[in-house]
Amino acid sequence: MKRSVAAGSLLALGASSSLVTRAFGKKETAKKVIVLGFDGVDPQLLRLWMDEGKLPNFKKIASLGDFRPLKTSIPPQSPVAWSNFAAGMDPGGHGIFDFIHRDPKLYMPIFSGTATEEAKKTIRIGNLVFPLSGGEVKNLRKGKAFWQILEEHDIPATIFKIPSNYPPVKTKQRTISGMGTPDILGSYGICNYFTTKSAEVNEDIGGARVHEVYVIGNRVEAKIPGPINTFKKDRPTAEIDFKVYIDPQNPVAKISIQGQEFILREKEWSGWKRIHFNLIPTQSVSGICLFYLKEVRPDFKLYLSPINIDPADPALPISTPDSYSEELEKKFGPFFTKGLPADTSALDNDFLDDAEFLEQDDRVLKESLEMYDYELGRFDSGLLFYYISSTDQRQHMFWRLMDEQSPSYDSQLASQFGKTIENIYIEMDKILGKTMPKLDKNTILMVMSDHGFNPFRRCFNLNTWLKENGYHKLINDWKQEEESLFTNSDWSRTKAYGVGLNGLYLNLKGREKEGIVEPGAEAENLTQEIARKLEATIDPKTGEKAVFRAYVAKDVYEGKNLENAPDIILGFNRGCRISWGSPLGRFPKEIFEDNKQKWSGDHMGAAEIMPGILVTNQKVKAESPALYDLTATILDIFGIEKPKEMIGKTIF
Amino acid sequence: MGKAKVKLDKDLLEKAKKYAEIAGYTSPEEFITHCLEKEIAKLEESDSEEEIKKKLKGLGYIS
Repeated sequence: MKRSVAAGSLLALGASSSLVTRAFGKKETAKKVIVLGFDGVDPQLLRLWMDEGKLPNFKKIASLGDFRPLKTSIPPQSPVAWSNFAAGMDPGGHGIFDFIHRDPKLYMPIFSGTATEEAKKTIRIGNLVFPLSGGEVKNLRKGKAFWQILEEHDIPATIFKIPSNYPPVKTKQRTISGMGTPDILGSYGICNYFTTKSAEVNEDIGGARVHEVYVIGNRVEAKIPGPINTFKKDRPTAEIDFKVYIDPQNPVAKISIQGQEFILREKEWSGWKRIHFNLIPTQSVSGICLFYLKEVRPDFKLYLSPINIDPADPALPISTPDSYSEELEKKFGPFFTKGLPADTSALDNDFLDDAEFLEQDDRVLKESLEMYDYELGRFDSGLLFYYISSTDQRQHMFWRLMDEQSPSYDSQLASQFGKTIENIYIEMDKILGKTMPKLDKNTILMVMSDHGFNPFRRCFNLNTWLKENGYHKLINDWKQEEESLFTNSDWSRTKAYGVGLNGLYLNLKGREKEGIVEPGAEAENLTQEIARKLEATIDPKTGEKAVFRAYVAKDVYEGKNLENAPDIILGFNRGCRISWGSPLGRFPKEIFEDNKQKWSGDHMGAAEIMPGILVTNQKVKAESPALYDLTATILDIFGIEKPKEMIGKTIF
Repeated sequence: MGKAKVKLDKDLLEKAKKYAEIAGYTSPEEFITHCLEKEIAKLEESDSEEEIKKKLKGLGYIS
């Protein structure tokens, strides 16, 4: 199977379906369950602000039932952790170990959650290539999701944007995919930024394409790059031309694109705009995007959000039934469909400033709250799961402004944005307030997060550490900092390498293309040796350990799906995380660096120091509840025996 | 579609003519075009590694 990240244009084009989605299953169940998934809510911060009286609804629910740390996954990354919950297993069962896996035959990073299979049979007519059989996007998570098991027992469920469910697994339940859902390019999110300031033009920015444009006669002409046009023989990028007419006196501009014209003032967002990439006369791909006129003069700067899959006409599968996304679009208009909707790259690269980023994420939150009202209003049977991303994204981006030790702390910005994280916890408290009137004696509420959060002050260059310790050899040492994706690695002398955010792999004979480490005793001894050395590594600046626990995969995972498991999973110490370059095979000069990015909070720590939260209106009997225990608990509430591959136990 | 001439070494051209016929191509031009397309596709495939990197970076966790 060929893994591709931009095969979207061949898939599911022209899908259409009824606009009515009916809840599947029984009209009324004896028990009802509401699960609120607040990504990344941290038990220490929650306790702090509960004790300060800022979260009255959390406090009330906890006083009725319980508030506990929730044991997270190894590693505590969202796709892994939410898979633990969805499948009721650990990564050894569901097979998702990181955001990023690697192909051992190419030493290349690949997406962990999905694989795209392009149409196998095509026909070429002139310079056009037509698919004769449909391509397919596959969700690589193994095991049944709990809502599929509920379906087998006629229990209705609505699953709103649970991460690691793209494409949504086959079900009659109402589901819409969340984190993992790509933009129209098949990526995790690439924005476009049009600027006349040539100093801002940089081709090597992650998550963005920067275009240099020129104002000629108060007019700017530019192109929006779209998906690869797989219908054409040479696979060009589909593009849309647009023009901007700048008012000669006022800070205002008119944007003209595909027959639509709209006026933006400087510092104004456009609202959702629908655009169509025409591939061939009979086929086009529809996307939705937001324009933001950042500056008119002296420089012209226009931001265009990542182009989201259009929920009214999805080019790729995002909901079950297909008509669910169309129904939501009909009721609420276009909405964010990209997995992690807020554009953190735009903030990190100064295309958006703090206030502008929050304006965008406020839109994300507003859409989520409106749809929550709708789903909560019609919830009368079975289970409702509802997910919020803003808690995670704001902690990533604004930790620096409540942490004076952060290398990117700024006292002036802190006075303005220092309470951003506290405020989003307060917003979550309001969601609980909305939910409480729905709670009768037969309704169980579980408020959960997948992991906690901590400061990200220091970067650990794992691949540099491996090189310095003799486990990784380069072809040319003088090119150490120039290459990425291991293009300078000498595999014939390399014993280990790091890919992804927590993963370390041996260069194992028979598994890796040019493996040199013999499986068996040699591999086991080497694994133990590296793990011990990692745990003993001290950051010279802080005097603290970099790695709190180096887990050996076979010791910590249950299940048989270990083929993509790293050999060692790094559980970082508080304050430390993998560096920015190491996950994609880079070798910066120093082993440790300060993290000077705005992305200043993170959660790549050891599971023991990074638990999520569980707040529920029931008493918890389990001593140390874990994510996969909640899955077993949900099934138990509905009187369903858990499948034998699920490893959790009921907590009530 | 526009056409352009390309200079080829005489020996290479003779070989191309010979193998084009053996392989069943209708002309040496068709054979040479096919060879070039195959090689360019390989290079484009390696470019896509860079593209994968760029797309992964949209995650936010890496740069």
